[in-house]
Amino acid sequence: MRTEDYYYSPIITDLKKNLEEIKRISGGSTDLMINEFVCGGIDCALLCCEGMLSTQTITELIFEPLMHVEKKLNSHELFKHIRTKLLLSIDQPVAENYGTLFRTLNSGFAVLIAEGMNIALAFGVQGFAMRGISEPSGEANIMGAHEGFVEVIRTNISLIRRRLKSPFLVTKLFVKGDKSQTDMCICYMQDRVPEKLLNQIKESLDEMELESVLSTGYVRPFVEKRSFELFSSTGTTERPDVLCSKLIEGRVALLIDGVPFAIVIPRLFCESFQTLDDYAFKPYYSTFIRWIKYAAFIIAVLLPSLYIAVATYHPELLNSTLLMILVESEAKAPLSLMTEALGVLLMYEIIREAGIRLPKPVGGAVSIVSGLIIGDAAVQSGLISTPLLTISALAVISGYVVPELNPTVTMLRLGFLVAGGLLGLFGISLLACAVLVNICATEDYGFPYTAPLSPFKKGGMRDTAVRTGFRRMQSGGFTVEEYHE
Amino acid sequence: MNRVSCGQFAALLLITDAFALFCLMGNVSIITACGFVTGVILQFLISIPTANFYKNGGTLKSSPKPFAWFYLIYIVLWGGLLFVMLWNASEEITIPAEKFSLIPEKFIITGLIAVTCLYASSPGEKALSRAALITAALGAVCIAVIVISAIPKSRVEYLADLSCSDGFFSELSRGFVLSGGLGSFIVLLGFTKGTPLKSAAGYFIGKAVLFAVVPATAAAAAGGIMEITDFPIITAAELSQPFSSQRIDSLFLIIFVILAVFAISVQTVTASYLLSTVIPSFKRFRSTAVLAAMTGSAFLMSGINQYSVIYSIAVVMAAAVVPLLMVLSKRAERRT
Repeated sequence: MRTEDYYYSPIITDLKKNLEEIKRISGGSTDLMINEFVCGGIDCALLCCEGMLSTQTITELIFEPLMHVEKKLNSHELFKHIRTKLLLSIDQPVAENYGTLFRTLNSGFAVLIAEGMNIALAFGVQGFAMRGISEPSGEANIMGAHEGFVEVIRTNISLIRRRLKSPFLVTKLFVKGDKSQTDMCICYMQDRVPEKLLNQIKESLDEMELESVLSTGYVRPFVEKRSFELFSSTGTTERPDVLCSKLIEGRVALLIDGVPFAIVIPRLFCESFQTLDDYAFKPYYSTFIRWIKYAAFIIAVLLPSLYIAVATYHPELLNSTLLMILVESEAKAPLSLMTEALGVLLMYEIIREAGIRLPKPVGGAVSIVSGLIIGDAAVQSGLISTPLLTISALAVISGYVVPELNPTVTMLRLGFLVAGGLLGLFGISLLACAVLVNICATEDYGFPYTAPLSPFKKGGMRDTAVRTGFRRMQSGGFTVEEYHE
Repeated sequence: MNRVSCGQFAALLLITDAFALFCLMGNVSIITACGFVTGVILQFLISIPTANFYKNGGTLKSSPKPFAWFYLIYIVLWGGLLFVMLWNASEEITIPAEKFSLIPEKFIITGLIAVTCLYASSPGEKALSRAALITAALGAVCIAVIVISAIPKSRVEYLADLSCSDGFFSELSRGFVLSGGLGSFIVLLGFTKGTPLKSAAGYFIGKAVLFAVVPATAAAAAGGIMEITDFPIITAAELSQPFSSQRIDSLFLIIFVILAVFAISVQTVTASYLLSTVIPSFKRFRSTAVLAAMTGSAFLMSGINQYSVIYSIAVVMAAAVVPLLMVLSKRAERRT
């Protein structure tokens, strides 16, 4: 059965036939619970999805009041009575077709259908098991809040609302995914967001015809440019405080039910180097840390390739002592420098992947085996030289200083390594040109990814090249629209 | 074509000029710097009518097609000449392409640079201009490092030695040959965001500084070996070592290659735009066609003296004569 076969079908007024139709559509699914009862002299049925709602709430808020309806009513009067006289729950949507009925039912609502009624009443009594609010795993900070997004979209909305109490914060829920029927939410500050940006994002989302939306990766390609981009022009965050700061700057956020990350549009390159802690420390220290991050990014991408290029083709760049150390260590290694470096970096990626996917106790063992046994044995046996291992380790660790860019950094590191190994600094320069143009071409909805560096915006540099104090920044009233081209 | 900011416009053109300057062959002296700077002042003066032409709503697209054809051919030839400069200079700089022994080194360098230029020009002039701004900043830092580290090696008597110069007018002519990017200047000036004259002034100020500082530094640092060096600017960069125990001239290769790629890409994007103007039906593979034409012309021009007076005349034609004809044609059109 296809979704469109039932989605817009009106609800059947005959209760028996209605229940048969519901069972037919659901394929007799075991988690669909149907409780038939008589209320106000009318045959009714309360539908719910097992495990999705709170038994205590449904007993106290739905069954008890319904059982106390004593006077005889017709179907319409009964529904009117329930809606106007009984306060069964705050959230009481009405379903007029089977599509809405099933979407509310499978979202944890209790759905009431009655004999002679072509609508269904839904009651928000969700009570499914969920992960509690905890510290974000990927965006830890020292001085800021320790709350991260969770998998429930409404909880995430509340986390944002708690921080932005302004009535200008708009959250709009909508449903995407033909099969998953996933709740999504678009958030923005209506007094800050560029209207054109908002409309364009809405248009992009309208084009999305997915069967399911299970992670941010499903949605991001639809709100990004179609051409090949090394860096993503949309960002994600799992911190409500970070998201609030982006919303205040006029950006748009997308929340997806079941995903503890929010998509932020547009995203700039320099933002990957900014953390909430930067604004908690003194400006001079934050500026220092920021430059450390920029340096770490360059080291992560270029250090192995520069080492290979210099050691192989341009040894005059090294001073004599360093050169002698390299010559001595490389003399014992049986493989060429480039092969050695590629081997080490690929091996590291394999170990990293194994460490992530394995259960945590075993993951620790992988680290021990890889770090102590393989690494030590490879150096001792002379398969890999110590300087190369040091360089690779430095590059890899530097890559983790900006975790968001790590996938791109990994690929760039390998690309530059091959270019440097084959053509020395000439190859690195050529690839650098291509990468630079690619970064500069990254742009979504008219917001260049490289702003405020290029196109140069002097005002933006106070939170890019340095981090000025809040006394200066507070007067800005900055919105992302300043970067629009 | 999208509009570019004043800074991006200057960056796009200064990169081309810097690359041409780095590839400069023959002797340099303080007279060279004087000749070049005078040339830049003259270029600014002759660009004023073009700036006014654009300010008053004139466009190259609305001008008769032969003008666009002229600039298309001119820019393709200038792109070819940039390739020739690259080939000549690559003999001085270590480009490890010899390992591909089956193919001549020149072909490998050209091929790789052409492929990179093709990629760099494919996203269009908007991305290129943003990248050019970053590249120009990087180039400025590198030039500053070279100039500062050249100071301890410099001698005032080298600057005073005028024996290796061919005279002021010869240097003026040579300065015009290095200003082949004026063709792109004329085309791109119509796409600047601010006042065209302001954009032109910004560019020529930057160019004057570049054309004064670099030859003067080269003359002061490499003056003693000027007679035996083919590429004085590259030699000066090689002599300017900031560290006592290690050489950094290979790092000059990085900035040299990056400037080469962007200089040729700027010509490719501009020529590609002109191609779309003169042959609107030519929609796909325009950049490829332009690059192919550039490399083809490079092979044709590789044996010719690149500092010939003919090239100076061509630059003057592109910078002064043709724009003047464009202005007159616009006036005539208004009258009719």
